[in-house]
Amino acid sequence: MIETQEIETKLLDFLKREVFAPEVLVTSETDLVAAGFDSMSLVRLLLFIETDYGFWIPESEITGDALRNIRALASTIARLINER
Amino acid sequence: MRGDPQLNGSDYLMLGFDYELRRRGFAGNSCQIVLELGSAISTEALKARLADLVNRYPILRARPGGVFLPKWKSAGHSVIGPQVRVHRDQPDLRQQLADEPLALKRGELLRFDLVQRDGGRMDVVFKWAHTLMDANSAEHFLAVVGRADIPLPATPTTQPLHAGKPLKQRFQLAWKSIHQLDQFCQAAPRSVGVRRPSAPARQKFRVERFSAEETARIRANGARLCGALGAAQYHSAVSMVELHRLHERIGCVSPSYVLPVPVGLRRKGSMEPLFSNQMTMLMTQFLPENLGSTVSAVAIVKSQMAAGLRTGLLESGVVLSELFRFLPLPLYMAMVKQGLRGEICSLFYGDTAAVTPLLTTFFGATIEDFTHIGATTPSPGLGVIFYFYRGLMRVTVFHLENHFSDAEAAGFAAGLRARLLEP
Repeated sequence: MIETQEIETKLLDFLKREVFAPEVLVTSETDLVAAGFDSMSLVRLLLFIETDYGFWIPESEITGDALRNIRALASTIARLINER
Repeated sequence: MRGDPQLNGSDYLMLGFDYELRRRGFAGNSCQIVLELGSAISTEALKARLADLVNRYPILRARPGGVFLPKWKSAGHSVIGPQVRVHRDQPDLRQQLADEPLALKRGELLRFDLVQRDGGRMDVVFKWAHTLMDANSAEHFLAVVGRADIPLPATPTTQPLHAGKPLKQRFQLAWKSIHQLDQFCQAAPRSVGVRRPSAPARQKFRVERFSAEETARIRANGARLCGALGAAQYHSAVSMVELHRLHERIGCVSPSYVLPVPVGLRRKGSMEPLFSNQMTMLMTQFLPENLGSTVSAVAIVKSQMAAGLRTGLLESGVVLSELFRFLPLPLYMAMVKQGLRGEICSLFYGDTAAVTPLLTTFFGATIEDFTHIGATTPSPGLGVIFYFYRGLMRVTVFHLENHFSDAEAAGFAAGLRARLLEP
Protein backbone atom coordinates (compact mmCIF):
# COMPACT_ATOMS: atom_id res chain seq x y z
CA MET A 1 0.00 0.00 0.00
CA ILE A 2 1.56 3.27 -1.12
CA GLU A 3 1.34 6.29 1.16
CA THR A 4 -0.10 9.60 -0.01
CA GLN A 5 2.64 11.41 1.87
CA GLU A 6 5.36 9.70 -0.15
CA ILE A 7 3.70 10.67 -3.44
CA GLU A 8 3.14 14.21 -2.19
CA THR A 9 6.86 14.62 -1.46
CA LYS A 10 7.82 13.35 -4.91
CA LEU A 11 5.31 15.59 -6.70
CA LEU A 12 6.40 18.60 -4.71
CA ASP A 13 10.03 17.94 -5.55
CA PHE A 14 9.25 17.49 -9.27
CA LEU A 15 7.13 20.64 -9.53
CA LYS A 16 9.69 22.76 -7.70
CA ARG A 17 12.53 21.38 -9.82
CA GLU A 18 10.92 21.31 -13.26
CA VAL A 19 7.83 23.49 -13.43
CA PHE A 20 7.80 26.48 -11.08
CA ALA A 21 10.30 29.32 -10.88
CA PRO A 22 12.63 29.15 -7.85
CA GLU A 23 11.13 32.31 -6.38
CA VAL A 24 7.64 30.79 -6.26
CA LEU A 25 6.79 29.34 -2.89
CA VAL A 26 5.19 25.97 -3.60
CA THR A 27 3.75 23.85 -0.82
CA SER A 28 1.38 20.90 -0.77
CA GLU A 29 -1.49 23.34 -0.39
CA THR A 30 -0.54 25.86 -3.07
CA ASP A 31 -3.34 26.48 -5.59
CA LEU A 32 -1.55 25.12 -8.66
CA VAL A 33 -3.56 26.90 -11.35
CA ALA A 34 -3.36 30.24 -9.56
CA ALA A 35 0.41 29.78 -9.38
CA GLY A 36 0.61 29.39 -13.18
CA PHE A 37 0.28 25.63 -13.69
CA ASP A 38 -1.04 25.12 -17.25
CA SER A 39 -1.89 22.40 -19.76
CA MET A 40 1.73 21.79 -20.76
CA SER A 41 2.76 21.56 -17.10
CA LEU A 42 -0.01 19.02 -16.65
CA VAL A 43 1.22 16.83 -19.52
CA ARG A 44 4.74 16.97 -18.07
CA LEU A 45 3.39 16.00 -14.68
CA LEU A 46 1.41 13.11 -16.17
CA LEU A 47 4.56 11.86 -17.90
CA PHE A 48 6.47 12.08 -14.62
CA ILE A 49 3.77 10.01 -12.92
CA GLU A 50 3.83 7.52 -15.78
CA THR A 51 7.60 7.13 -15.48
CA ASP A 52 7.59 6.81 -11.70
CA TYR A 53 4.40 4.83 -11.08
CA GLY A 54 3.93 3.07 -14.39
CA PHE A 55 0.51 4.31 -15.39
CA TRP A 56 -1.15 7.25 -17.15
CA ILE A 57 -3.85 8.92 -15.09
CA PRO A 58 -7.16 8.50 -16.95
CA GLU A 59 -8.65 11.73 -18.22
CA SER A 60 -11.80 11.26 -16.18
CA GLU A 61 -9.65 11.59 -13.04
CA ILE A 62 -8.05 14.88 -14.11
CA THR A 63 -10.66 17.16 -12.66
CA GLY A 64 -10.48 20.64 -11.21
CA ASP A 65 -10.73 19.08 -7.76
CA ALA A 66 -7.84 16.68 -8.36
CA LEU A 67 -5.69 19.56 -9.58
CA ARG A 68 -6.63 21.84 -6.70
CA ASN A 69 -3.24 21.35 -5.05
CA ILE A 70 -0.47 18.78 -4.67
CA ARG A 71 -2.14 17.12 -1.71
CA ALA A 72 -5.36 16.49 -3.66
CA LEU A 73 -3.40 15.22 -6.63
CA ALA A 74 -1.29 12.88 -4.49
CA SER A 75 -4.42 11.52 -2.91
CA THR A 76 -5.93 10.78 -6.35
CA ILE A 77 -2.75 9.03 -7.47
CA ALA A 78 -2.56 6.97 -4.27
CA ARG A 79 -6.16 5.87 -4.71
CA LEU A 80 -5.58 4.85 -8.34
CA ILE A 81 -2.43 2.92 -7.45
CA ASN A 82 -4.10 1.10 -4.58
CA GLU A 83 -7.11 0.23 -6.72
CA ARG A 84 -4.91 -1.46 -9.34
CA MET B 1 26.06 47.57 -25.86
CA ARG B 2 28.12 46.14 -23.00
CA GLY B 3 28.38 42.39 -23.30
CA ASP B 4 26.23 42.32 -26.47
CA PRO B 5 23.54 39.84 -25.34
CA GLN B 6 22.78 37.05 -27.77
CA LEU B 7 19.48 36.41 -29.48
CA ASN B 8 18.34 32.94 -28.50
CA GLY B 9 17.09 30.38 -31.03
CA SER B 10 13.50 31.48 -30.69
CA ASP B 11 14.38 35.19 -31.08
CA TYR B 12 16.34 34.29 -34.19
CA LEU B 13 13.43 32.36 -35.69
CA MET B 14 11.24 35.43 -35.16
CA LEU B 15 13.91 37.55 -36.84
CA GLY B 16 13.89 35.07 -39.72
CA PHE B 17 10.15 35.54 -40.16
CA ASP B 18 10.69 39.30 -40.11
CA TYR B 19 13.26 38.96 -42.88
CA GLU B 20 10.89 36.79 -44.90
CA LEU B 21 7.94 39.17 -44.53
CA ARG B 22 9.93 42.27 -45.48
CA ARG B 23 11.47 40.44 -48.43
CA ARG B 24 7.97 39.90 -49.77
CA GLY B 25 6.83 43.47 -49.25
CA PHE B 26 5.00 43.10 -45.93
CA ALA B 27 5.59 45.16 -42.79
CA GLY B 28 7.65 42.55 -40.97
CA ASN B 29 7.14 40.29 -37.99
CA SER B 30 5.77 42.82 -35.55
CA CYS B 31 2.78 42.31 -33.29
CA GLN B 32 0.40 44.78 -31.70
CA ILE B 33 -1.53 45.13 -28.48
CA VAL B 34 -4.35 47.65 -28.45
CA LEU B 35 -5.47 49.07 -25.10
CA GLU B 36 -8.79 50.90 -25.19
CA LEU B 37 -8.60 53.49 -22.42
CA GLY B 38 -11.52 55.25 -20.78
CA SER B 39 -9.57 58.53 -20.72
CA ALA B 40 -6.55 60.09 -22.41
CA ILE B 41 -3.06 59.81 -20.97
CA SER B 42 -0.18 62.30 -21.07
CA THR B 43 2.10 61.83 -24.05
CA GLU B 44 4.95 63.48 -22.16
CA ALA B 45 4.56 61.12 -19.21
CA LEU B 46 4.74 58.13 -21.55
CA LYS B 47 7.84 59.51 -23.29
CA ALA B 48 9.54 60.17 -19.96
CA ARG B 49 8.77 56.68 -18.72
CA LEU B 50 10.12 55.12 -21.90
CA ALA B 51 13.29 57.22 -21.72
CA ASP B 52 13.82 55.97 -18.18
CA LEU B 53 13.32 52.35 -19.23
CA VAL B 54 15.61 52.73 -22.24
CA ASN B 55 18.37 54.05 -19.96
CA ARG B 56 17.85 51.12 -17.67
CA TYR B 57 17.64 48.48 -20.43
CA PRO B 58 19.90 49.27 -23.43
CA ILE B 59 18.36 46.32 -25.31
CA LEU B 60 15.33 48.58 -25.94
CA ARG B 61 17.40 50.73 -28.31
CA ALA B 62 19.50 48.04 -29.96
CA ARG B 63 19.32 46.29 -33.30
CA PRO B 64 19.86 42.65 -34.16
CA GLY B 65 23.36 42.13 -35.55
CA GLY B 66 26.43 39.94 -35.03
CA VAL B 67 28.66 38.09 -37.48
CA PHE B 68 28.78 34.48 -36.36
CA LEU B 69 26.05 34.55 -33.74
CA PRO B 70 23.04 36.89 -33.68
CA LYS B 71 23.44 39.53 -30.97
CA TRP B 72 21.81 42.73 -29.83
CA LYS B 73 24.10 45.57 -30.96
CA SER B 74 23.90 49.21 -30.06
CA ALA B 75 22.19 51.04 -32.90
CA GLY B 76 24.85 53.79 -32.73
CA HIS B 77 24.40 57.30 -34.12
CA SER B 78 21.38 56.44 -36.22
CA VAL B 79 19.45 55.12 -33.23
CA ILE B 80 15.73 55.80 -33.09
CA GLY B 81 14.68 53.75 -30.08
CA PRO B 82 11.04 53.55 -28.96
CA GLN B 83 8.74 56.02 -30.70
CA VAL B 84 5.56 57.74 -29.46
CA ARG B 85 3.13 59.34 -31.92
CA VAL B 86 -0.29 60.92 -31.52
CA HIS B 87 -3.19 60.66 -33.99
CA ARG B 88 -6.82 61.70 -34.32
CA ASP B 89 -8.99 58.67 -34.97
CA GLN B 90 -10.02 58.15 -38.59
CA PRO B 91 -11.49 55.22 -40.50
CA ASP B 92 -8.33 53.76 -42.08
CA LEU B 93 -5.94 54.57 -39.25
CA ARG B 94 -5.83 51.10 -37.65
CA GLN B 95 -4.94 49.47 -40.96
CA GLN B 96 -2.31 52.16 -41.65
CA LEU B 97 -0.71 51.58 -38.24
CA ALA B 98 -0.69 47.83 -38.83
CA ASP B 99 0.97 48.25 -42.25
CA GLU B 100 3.81 50.52 -41.10
CA PRO B 101 7.04 48.60 -40.48
CA LEU B 102 9.28 49.25 -37.50
CA ALA B 103 12.76 50.57 -38.33
CA LEU B 104 14.41 47.48 -36.87
CA LYS B 105 17.87 48.23 -38.27
CA ARG B 106 17.81 51.65 -36.61
CA GLY B 107 16.89 50.26 -33.23
CA GLU B 108 13.15 50.92 -33.33
CA LEU B 109 11.88 47.82 -31.58
CA LEU B 110 8.84 49.45 -29.99
CA ARG B 111 6.29 52.02 -31.07
CA PHE B 112 3.36 53.59 -29.24
CA ASP B 113 0.60 55.20 -31.30
CA LEU B 114 -1.85 57.13 -29.14
CA VAL B 115 -5.19 57.49 -30.89
CA GLN B 116 -7.46 60.25 -29.58
CA ARG B 117 -11.09 59.22 -29.74
CA ASP B 118 -14.34 61.07 -29.22
CA GLY B 119 -15.39 61.78 -25.66
CA GLY B 120 -11.82 62.20 -24.41
CA ARG B 121 -11.08 58.50 -24.77
CA MET B 122 -7.85 57.12 -26.13
CA ASP B 123 -6.51 53.90 -27.66
CA VAL B 124 -2.91 52.89 -27.17
CA VAL B 125 -1.62 50.88 -30.12
CA PHE B 126 1.60 49.24 -28.97
CA LYS B 127 3.67 47.63 -31.70
CA TRP B 128 6.77 45.58 -30.97
CA ALA B 129 9.25 43.52 -32.93
CA HIS B 130 8.56 39.87 -32.18
CA THR B 131 12.29 39.17 -32.17
CA LEU B 132 12.56 41.25 -28.98
CA MET B 133 9.95 39.44 -26.91
CA ASP B 134 6.95 37.12 -26.99
CA ALA B 135 3.33 38.15 -26.44
CA ASN B 136 3.28 37.32 -22.72
CA SER B 137 6.41 39.42 -22.24
CA ALA B 138 4.80 42.27 -24.17
CA GLU B 139 1.78 42.21 -21.85
CA HIS B 140 4.03 42.35 -18.80
CA PHE B 141 6.20 45.07 -20.35
CA LEU B 142 3.09 47.20 -20.94
CA ALA B 143 2.18 46.78 -17.28
CA VAL B 144 5.71 47.87 -16.32
CA VAL B 145 5.44 50.94 -18.60
CA GLY B 146 2.00 51.96 -17.44
CA ARG B 147 2.20 51.34 -13.72
CA ALA B 148 4.88 52.54 -11.34
CA ASP B 149 4.04 49.87 -8.76
CA ILE B 150 5.17 46.88 -10.86
CA PRO B 151 8.67 45.65 -10.00
CA LEU B 152 11.13 46.15 -12.86
CA PRO B 153 12.60 43.09 -14.54
CA ALA B 154 15.84 41.98 -12.93
CA THR B 155 17.45 40.05 -15.77
CA PRO B 156 16.51 41.77 -18.98
CA THR B 157 19.13 40.28 -21.28
CA THR B 158 18.70 37.15 -23.31
CA GLN B 159 20.69 33.94 -23.09
CA PRO B 160 20.66 30.80 -25.22
CA LEU B 161 17.70 28.61 -24.34
CA HIS B 162 19.81 25.51 -24.10
CA ALA B 163 23.42 24.99 -23.19
CA GLY B 164 25.63 22.62 -21.33
CA LYS B 165 25.41 19.41 -23.34
CA PRO B 166 28.32 18.32 -25.55
CA LEU B 167 27.91 19.23 -29.21
CA LYS B 168 27.56 15.61 -30.33
CA GLN B 169 24.71 15.08 -27.89
CA ARG B 170 23.05 18.27 -29.07
CA PHE B 171 23.19 17.13 -32.69
CA GLN B 172 21.70 13.78 -31.70
CA LEU B 173 18.87 15.55 -29.89
CA ALA B 174 18.25 17.94 -32.78
CA TRP B 175 18.07 15.02 -35.15
CA LYS B 176 14.82 13.86 -33.50
CA SER B 177 13.03 16.97 -34.77
CA ILE B 178 14.47 16.56 -38.25
CA HIS B 179 13.38 12.93 -38.25
CA GLN B 180 9.88 14.00 -37.23
CA LEU B 181 9.70 16.39 -40.18
CA ASP B 182 10.91 13.57 -42.43
CA GLN B 183 8.02 11.45 -41.21
CA PHE B 184 5.59 14.29 -41.86
CA CYS B 185 6.83 14.28 -45.47
CA GLN B 186 5.02 11.04 -46.11
CA ALA B 187 2.00 13.29 -46.63
CA ALA B 188 3.72 16.64 -47.10
CA PRO B 189 1.48 19.60 -46.29
CA ARG B 190 0.76 22.22 -48.93
CA SER B 191 -0.46 25.75 -48.28
CA VAL B 192 -2.76 27.76 -50.50
CA GLY B 193 0.18 30.00 -51.49
CA VAL B 194 -0.23 33.33 -53.29
CA ARG B 195 -3.63 32.75 -54.84
CA ARG B 196 -4.36 36.45 -55.25
CA PRO B 197 -1.19 37.93 -56.76
CA SER B 198 -2.81 41.26 -57.57
CA ALA B 199 -3.86 41.86 -53.94
CA PRO B 200 -1.64 44.23 -51.94
CA ALA B 201 1.06 42.84 -49.65
CA ARG B 202 -0.99 43.65 -46.59
CA GLN B 203 -2.11 41.86 -43.47
CA LYS B 204 -5.66 42.32 -42.20
CA PHE B 205 -7.23 41.25 -38.95
CA ARG B 206 -10.57 40.82 -37.24
CA VAL B 207 -11.41 40.17 -33.59
CA GLU B 208 -14.06 37.71 -32.48
CA ARG B 209 -15.41 38.70 -29.07
CA PHE B 210 -17.33 36.36 -26.81
CA SER B 211 -19.78 37.25 -24.06
CA ALA B 212 -19.50 35.89 -20.53
CA GLU B 213 -22.12 33.26 -21.30
CA GLU B 214 -20.38 32.22 -24.53
CA THR B 215 -16.98 32.14 -22.80
CA ALA B 216 -18.42 29.86 -20.10
CA ARG B 217 -19.83 27.55 -22.77
CA ILE B 218 -16.50 27.35 -24.59
CA ARG B 219 -14.65 26.65 -21.34
CA ALA B 220 -17.13 23.89 -20.53
CA ASN B 221 -16.74 22.37 -24.00
CA GLY B 222 -12.96 22.41 -23.60
CA ALA B 223 -13.11 20.78 -20.18
CA ARG B 224 -15.55 18.11 -21.43
CA LEU B 225 -13.44 17.15 -24.46
CA CYS B 226 -9.93 17.75 -23.13
CA GLY B 227 -10.17 17.56 -19.35
CA ALA B 228 -9.21 20.21 -16.83
CA LEU B 229 -6.64 22.68 -18.20
CA GLY B 230 -7.32 21.36 -21.71
CA ALA B 231 -8.58 24.65 -23.16
CA ALA B 232 -5.56 25.21 -25.41
CA GLN B 233 -5.85 21.71 -26.86
CA TYR B 234 -9.51 22.34 -27.60
CA HIS B 235 -8.79 25.69 -29.28
CA SER B 236 -6.07 24.21 -31.48
CA ALA B 237 -8.21 21.24 -32.51
CA VAL B 238 -11.14 23.49 -33.44
CA SER B 239 -8.80 25.77 -35.40
CA MET B 240 -7.46 22.88 -37.45
CA VAL B 241 -10.91 21.49 -38.27
CA GLU B 242 -11.97 24.93 -39.50
CA LEU B 243 -8.71 25.37 -41.43
CA HIS B 244 -9.40 22.12 -43.28
CA ARG B 245 -12.96 23.25 -44.02
CA LEU B 246 -11.60 26.53 -45.40
CA HIS B 247 -9.19 24.62 -47.64
CA GLU B 248 -12.11 22.47 -48.80
CA ARG B 249 -14.23 25.54 -49.59
CA ILE B 250 -11.52 27.07 -51.76
CA GLY B 251 -10.72 23.75 -53.45
CA CYS B 252 -7.22 23.37 -52.02
CA VAL B 253 -7.26 20.37 -49.70
CA SER B 254 -3.79 19.59 -48.40
CA PRO B 255 -2.46 16.02 -48.01
CA SER B 256 -1.85 16.99 -44.38
CA TYR B 257 -1.73 20.06 -42.14
CA VAL B 258 1.08 20.89 -39.72
CA LEU B 259 0.45 22.95 -36.62
CA PRO B 260 3.44 24.20 -34.65
CA VAL B 261 2.08 24.58 -31.12
CA PRO B 262 4.07 27.22 -29.20
CA VAL B 263 5.18 25.96 -25.80
CA GLY B 264 6.28 28.46 -23.18
CA LEU B 265 9.67 27.69 -21.62
CA ARG B 266 9.57 30.12 -18.73
CA ARG B 267 9.27 28.56 -15.32
CA LYS B 268 5.75 29.13 -14.02
CA GLY B 269 5.34 32.17 -11.83
CA SER B 270 8.17 34.13 -13.46
CA MET B 271 8.47 36.54 -16.39
CA GLU B 272 12.27 36.43 -16.50
CA PRO B 273 14.01 37.04 -18.81
CA LEU B 274 11.48 39.59 -20.03
CA PHE B 275 13.11 40.79 -23.27
CA SER B 276 13.24 37.43 -24.95
CA ASN B 277 11.12 34.83 -26.73
CA GLN B 278 11.00 31.98 -24.25
CA MET B 279 9.25 29.34 -26.30
CA THR B 280 9.67 26.46 -28.66
CA MET B 281 7.34 24.69 -31.06
CA LEU B 282 5.85 21.24 -30.68
CA MET B 283 4.93 20.10 -34.18
CA THR B 284 1.67 18.23 -34.73
CA GLN B 285 0.38 16.82 -37.99
CA PHE B 286 -3.22 16.20 -39.02
CA LEU B 287 -4.37 14.18 -42.00
CA PRO B 288 -7.66 15.26 -43.62
CA GLU B 289 -9.38 12.20 -42.15
CA ASN B 290 -8.37 13.39 -38.65
CA LEU B 291 -10.23 16.64 -39.21
CA GLY B 292 -13.72 15.32 -39.84
CA SER B 293 -14.84 16.32 -36.36
CA THR B 294 -13.61 18.22 -33.33
CA VAL B 295 -13.44 15.00 -31.33
CA SER B 296 -11.10 13.30 -33.82
CA ALA B 297 -8.90 16.41 -34.02
CA VAL B 298 -8.72 16.62 -30.21
CA ALA B 299 -7.53 13.00 -30.11
CA ILE B 300 -4.65 13.85 -32.47
CA VAL B 301 -3.63 16.94 -30.51
CA LYS B 302 -3.59 15.05 -27.22
CA SER B 303 -1.74 11.99 -28.47
CA GLN B 304 0.90 13.94 -30.40
CA MET B 305 1.51 16.36 -27.56
CA ALA B 306 2.07 13.53 -25.07
CA ALA B 307 4.19 11.59 -27.58
CA GLY B 308 6.23 14.70 -28.33
CA LEU B 309 7.07 15.21 -24.67
CA ARG B 310 7.62 11.49 -24.07
CA THR B 311 10.15 11.19 -26.89
CA GLY B 312 12.02 14.38 -26.07
CA LEU B 313 10.82 16.42 -29.05
CA LEU B 314 10.41 19.51 -26.93
CA GLU B 315 14.06 19.54 -25.91
CA SER B 316 15.01 18.54 -29.43
CA GLY B 317 13.18 21.56 -30.87
CA VAL B 318 14.97 23.86 -28.46
CA VAL B 319 18.38 22.44 -29.33
CA LEU B 320 17.66 22.59 -33.06
CA SER B 321 16.65 26.25 -32.88
CA GLU B 322 19.82 27.05 -30.94
CA LEU B 323 21.96 25.34 -33.59
CA PHE B 324 20.16 27.22 -36.37
CA ARG B 325 21.43 30.50 -34.92
CA PHE B 326 24.77 29.81 -36.63
CA LEU B 327 23.15 30.03 -40.08
CA PRO B 328 22.76 33.27 -42.04
CA LEU B 329 19.10 34.36 -42.16
CA PRO B 330 18.46 33.71 -45.90
CA LEU B 331 19.84 30.17 -45.62
CA TYR B 332 17.93 29.59 -42.38
CA MET B 333 14.61 30.67 -43.88
CA ALA B 334 15.24 28.62 -47.03
CA MET B 335 15.80 25.56 -44.82
CA VAL B 336 12.68 26.27 -42.76
CA LYS B 337 10.60 26.64 -45.90
CA GLN B 338 12.02 23.45 -47.38
CA GLY B 339 11.73 21.58 -44.09
CA LEU B 340 8.83 19.51 -45.29
CA ARG B 341 9.41 19.83 -49.00
CA GLY B 342 6.05 21.46 -48.61
CA GLU B 343 5.04 23.74 -45.76
CA ILE B 344 6.38 23.67 -42.23
CA CYS B 345 3.32 25.45 -40.86
CA SER B 346 -0.29 25.37 -42.05
CA LEU B 347 -1.61 27.90 -39.55
CA PHE B 348 0.04 30.42 -37.23
CA TYR B 349 -1.41 29.66 -33.84
CA GLY B 350 -1.03 31.36 -30.49
CA ASP B 351 -2.81 30.84 -27.20
CA THR B 352 -1.65 33.40 -24.68
CA ALA B 353 -4.32 32.37 -22.15
CA ALA B 354 -5.44 35.02 -19.65
CA VAL B 355 -3.99 38.50 -20.13
CA THR B 356 -1.89 39.46 -17.12
CA PRO B 357 -4.16 40.77 -14.34
CA LEU B 358 -1.65 43.62 -13.90
CA LEU B 359 -3.13 45.31 -16.98
CA THR B 360 -6.17 47.00 -15.52
CA THR B 361 -4.93 50.59 -15.74
CA PHE B 362 -2.37 52.40 -17.89
CA PHE B 363 -0.96 55.67 -16.51
CA GLY B 364 -4.01 55.79 -14.26
CA ALA B 365 -6.55 55.44 -17.10
CA THR B 366 -8.87 52.44 -16.93
CA ILE B 367 -8.26 49.81 -19.62
CA GLU B 368 -11.71 49.04 -20.98
CA ASP B 369 -10.70 46.53 -23.60
CA PHE B 370 -7.63 44.70 -24.83
CA THR B 371 -6.74 43.22 -28.22
CA HIS B 372 -3.81 41.12 -29.43
CA ILE B 373 -2.91 41.35 -33.12
CA GLY B 374 -0.35 38.83 -34.30
CA ALA B 375 1.64 38.47 -37.48
CA THR B 376 1.65 35.65 -39.99
CA THR B 377 4.08 34.86 -42.79
CA PRO B 378 3.67 33.90 -46.44
CA SER B 379 2.74 31.08 -46.32
CA PRO B 380 0.46 30.00 -44.57
CA GLY B 381 -0.90 33.58 -44.64
CA LEU B 382 -3.42 32.86 -41.90
CA GLY B 383 -3.14 33.00 -38.12
CA VAL B 384 -5.15 32.98 -34.91
CA ILE B 385 -4.52 34.09 -31.34
CA PHE B 386 -6.71 32.97 -28.46
CA TYR B 387 -6.73 34.98 -25.22
CA PHE B 388 -8.93 36.05 -22.35
CA TYR B 389 -9.29 39.58 -21.05
CA ARG B 390 -11.11 40.07 -17.75
CA GLY B 391 -12.42 36.53 -18.13
CA LEU B 392 -13.90 37.12 -21.60
CA MET B 393 -12.62 35.19 -24.56
CA ARG B 394 -11.18 36.88 -27.63
CA VAL B 395 -9.89 35.36 -30.86
CA THR B 396 -7.98 37.51 -33.33
CA VAL B 397 -7.87 36.12 -36.88
CA PHE B 398 -5.30 37.67 -39.21
CA HIS B 399 -4.64 36.96 -42.87
CA LEU B 400 -2.50 38.09 -45.77
CA GLU B 401 -4.62 39.55 -48.52
CA ASN B 402 -2.68 37.87 -51.32
CA HIS B 403 -3.38 34.45 -49.78
CA PHE B 404 -7.01 34.79 -48.67
CA SER B 405 -9.81 37.20 -49.47
CA ASP B 406 -11.58 39.08 -46.67
CA ALA B 407 -14.68 36.93 -47.24
CA GLU B 408 -12.66 33.72 -46.89
CA ALA B 409 -11.05 34.93 -43.66
CA ALA B 410 -14.46 36.02 -42.37
CA GLY B 411 -15.85 32.57 -43.20
CA PHE B 412 -13.00 30.95 -41.29
CA ALA B 413 -13.59 33.22 -38.27
CA ALA B 414 -17.33 32.54 -38.32
CA GLY B 415 -16.71 28.79 -38.52
CA LEU B 416 -14.28 29.03 -35.60
CA ARG B 417 -16.83 30.90 -33.49
CA ALA B 418 -19.60 28.44 -34.26
CA ARG B 419 -17.46 25.36 -33.62
CA LEU B 420 -16.03 26.70 -30.35
CA LEU B 421 -19.60 27.09 -29.15
CA GLU B 422 -20.92 23.84 -30.64
CA PRO B 423 -18.05 21.37 -31.12
